[in-house]
Amino acid sequence: MEILKVSHLSKTYGSGEAKVEALKDVSFSLEKGEFAAVVGESGSGKSTLLNCIGGLDTPTSGSVWMDGRDLFAMSENKRTVFRRQNIGFVFQSFQLVEELNVEQNIIFPLLLDYQKPDPKRVDEILEVLGLKERRHHLPGQLSGGQQQRVAIGRALIMRPALVLADEPTGNLDSKNSQDVMDLLMKASRHYQQTILMITHNEALTANVDRVLRVRDGVLKDLGGVRA
Amino acid sequence: MRAERKGNMRERRMKSYLDLVPISARRRKRQSRMTRLCIVLAVFLVASIFSMADMEIQSQIRRTQMDDGDWHVMFAGPDEEQISLIESRPEVQTSARYAALNYGLDRGYEIGGKETVICGFDENFDEIMEQASIEDGHFPEGTAEAAVTQSMKRQLGVDVGDPIVLMTPEGEGIEFTVSGFSGDTSMLTSSDAFGIFVNTETYETYFADDTRGEDFALYVKFVPFCNIQKTVDDICGQTGISREAVSENTMLLTLIFQTSNTTMMQLYWAAGILSVLVAAAGILMISGSMNSNVSQRTRFFGMLRCLGADRKQIRRFVRREALSWCKSAVPAGLILSMAAVWGLCALLRYLSPMYFSTMPVFGISLPGVVFGALVGIVTVMIAAHSPAKNASKVSPLTAVSGNAGTTHAVKKAANTRHLHVETSLGIHHASGSKKNFVLMTCSFAFSIILFLSFSPAIDFMNHAVRPLQPSAADLTVSSGDGAGSLPKDLAASIEQIGSVQRVYGRSYMYGFTASVGGETIPVQLISYEKYQFDWVRDDLMEGSLEEAENGDGVLAVYYMNEGDFQTGETFELTAGDRTETVRVSGILSESLFNIQDQSAALICSESLFEELTGESGYAVIDVQFDSDVTDQDVEEIRALAGDGASVSDNRMENAENRGAYYSFALFLYGFLAVITLISVFNIINSIAMSVSGRIREYGAMRAIGMTSRQMVRMVSAEAVTYVIWGIVIGCAAGLALNYKIYDLLISIRWGDPWEFPAVELAVILAAMALSAAAAVAGPAKRIREMSVADTISAL
Repeated sequence: MEILKVSHLSKTYGSGEAKVEALKDVSFSLEKGEFAAVVGESGSGKSTLLNCIGGLDTPTSGSVWMDGRDLFAMSENKRTVFRRQNIGFVFQSFQLVEELNVEQNIIFPLLLDYQKPDPKRVDEILEVLGLKERRHHLPGQLSGGQQQRVAIGRALIMRPALVLADEPTGNLDSKNSQDVMDLLMKASRHYQQTILMITHNEALTANVDRVLRVRDGVLKDLGGVRA
Repeated sequence: MRAERKGNMRERRMKSYLDLVPISARRRKRQSRMTRLCIVLAVFLVASIFSMADMEIQSQIRRTQMDDGDWHVMFAGPDEEQISLIESRPEVQTSARYAALNYGLDRGYEIGGKETVICGFDENFDEIMEQASIEDGHFPEGTAEAAVTQSMKRQLGVDVGDPIVLMTPEGEGIEFTVSGFSGDTSMLTSSDAFGIFVNTETYETYFADDTRGEDFALYVKFVPFCNIQKTVDDICGQTGISREAVSENTMLLTLIFQTSNTTMMQLYWAAGILSVLVAAAGILMISGSMNSNVSQRTRFFGMLRCLGADRKQIRRFVRREALSWCKSAVPAGLILSMAAVWGLCALLRYLSPMYFSTMPVFGISLPGVVFGALVGIVTVMIAAHSPAKNASKVSPLTAVSGNAGTTHAVKKAANTRHLHVETSLGIHHASGSKKNFVLMTCSFAFSIILFLSFSPAIDFMNHAVRPLQPSAADLTVSSGDGAGSLPKDLAASIEQIGSVQRVYGRSYMYGFTASVGGETIPVQLISYEKYQFDWVRDDLMEGSLEEAENGDGVLAVYYMNEGDFQTGETFELTAGDRTETVRVSGILSESLFNIQDQSAALICSESLFEELTGESGYAVIDVQFDSDVTDQDVEEIRALAGDGASVSDNRMENAENRGAYYSFALFLYGFLAVITLISVFNIINSIAMSVSGRIREYGAMRAIGMTSRQMVRMVSAEAVTYVIWGIVIGCAAGLALNYKIYDLLISIRWGDPWEFPAVELAVILAAMALSAAAAVAGPAKRIREMSVADTISAL
């Protein structure tokens, strides 16, 4: 089942001599439960791609279909609600709400959607994240790896169609990086969660389903790497 | 541990994203301190204005009820049928008949040789006229009893049951028995007159024939919440009494917002507009502070947007956050305002104890508290509008792009060619974003505009409510015949009384003529002593005061006539067959006391007066008292002056004048202080916020080698840029408004030409300069103590 379809996506910044083509006619799609990685050098356009897929940035041309719906045919407000319900984000710098504890951070997207958190689901996520004992800790009381796990929990709580992870291990040491990768992998396998991850560390792509490379705004599908 | 668990329990029960607001508020107390302080200040100012106005109104109502009576309207000359029609109306709570004779003290009704006012009224009159209540004894019964004023008790030594005889202009004596005593009025004491009160029946018997029809009246007090103007119209229509025959207790009706007097209602409008201006200044101040707070948290709002918060939710979040600050800031502002109001009430009571005796010491004004809280919350909600909009506009990209905190899109590089780089950067920080620059300079200019627009009100007050002159006497002893028959020893004896602060006498002589410039003009000669010469020192237009004081010449009061006096000239002064040559030593712009019409006034020393007229006594001796003066002291002076002299006691009148001036002045100066305070706070707050917004940038600058001295110079340059432009815009608009308002308030009424408001301008500019200096001091300290490593690691 196709979850994401990116069709002829282009993004241009500036004009005239200052014109920069960040994305050039990018097209690809992802199936449900697929774990894909986008790799590329710094400035290659991979973050722009992620921002356009997440509806954070508007493409110059092309379209993004998610779960059969055209993201940029929606009004800004509808797109926000759609994002809230269908896309989970994991950032390089965690972006947790410092004032909220682990559990509160995880349920926060539910509250924004005026939903009542299901305690069983919260417990389950905390269990998977290995943070059950730290549910009342504040972000400041956690290690980087633990904070990123909380961010992953927050991305998963809404059962989104797609999780977008932007360099999720960029701020972590190798041990914590591996933990986070294991967790994302677990989500993909265990919950059939579709994940699109951006990374410049090609070593992390060893176990993903597909690798997409972006170079000078052009995307090339390198296909599956998993045995 | 337990508390922590309790806190966690509370956090676990988070049911809405808005529950983040109180949690965030607890943890970000320091960041929101400035905004909360702004709210406290705004609530404090509004609550203080309303509370003070309420206290003043309540005190004035009580005072008016005591002085002028608790009646609403008075119908002049109604007949019995009209009276019964009025009294039968359901809106009428109390009514009483009243008549008076010899109110002008010129009809020749006397007791003990002093003019006496005669009043006749119903027994229930004291319910609406406190002054008519009998303090000792009882209300006069039958036609043989009368109550009299306390001054008669003191001066004539009469007591309840004693007989008194009222002499009529025809020389007949009507004997009454004293049934009791009532209080004095300022009119009676300052005119050295008595009052006698009889019942309606007695009045009809003896004085009705001598009383003019319109001096019979029916005083009416209506039930609470009655529409008085409409009811009076109805009564006039029903009884046929003309609207002109109805007098209002204007002061009382004004105070209960029921007057038909448009001037007073305009004053209320003015007060309302002032409150709106204060609220506007408050909105600007709070909004500015909240905007800075929001701009420091763009990454946070970006993250919320990323997580799926829509714009409406962000706006609601910011507004809820603002409301949550109100929870502590509003009560704090209210408590502060109560303390300030208590202080101000105490100050007024100290300045004028007699006038403000009805003002509560520790009163709490419910309307003040309610309005303060309400206006505070509404102000915050309005102020939160723009920050909420700004926060909702934050792009979710801010959270992922890593550019949070540097959202100001700089379009033009700083000009570093002419100035040091830090100064150039400071100026560029101020002027880089046009919108921010306009907002900041306008908010600074707003204070100057407000200050300059409001300052003509001080001149208005000085014209409308004249302050008591330094020469105003608390007690005046005048010779009965108007001539200088009061011995100088009397002044010396009065000075010996403990509570007497100052005694100064003068003599008059009319009937002189002077030959000036070929014309003969009528002249009056007045003698001054040391104090009076001192008080006219500022009125000297030309010449020498000392020469006149030493008896070497006279001071001429500016006469505005063809035959005016010139300094240094000599002229001949003639009285009857006696002629003396006198030299003009100086010209005064005005005299301390009234001058007889159609004659020029010459002021000289006592010795020259005696030399020219042969008179050595005073015509008038004025006395000023310390605050501990008692009625006994006044009686002692009365006794010293003897029967031939008339003693008028002006203490009550002076207290009333002084009180009115103080309350007006306190209100006006208070308001100017408030404007200055807002200005000071706004400048300090804005600069502090601006620095906070750039603290990471400053950290980076420190890291690449900028010294803390250079950093301070950079912040100073930013502050000075805002202040200078604020001053330029504020002065341009403020001076134009000052001119226009001065013209409307003063020039049109009193003809005074507009003068450049140098003092006012100096005060507000000095306040702004000091605020700018103080505004830089705080951030400078912060920059010096800043850990470069910590700051840039957050980049």
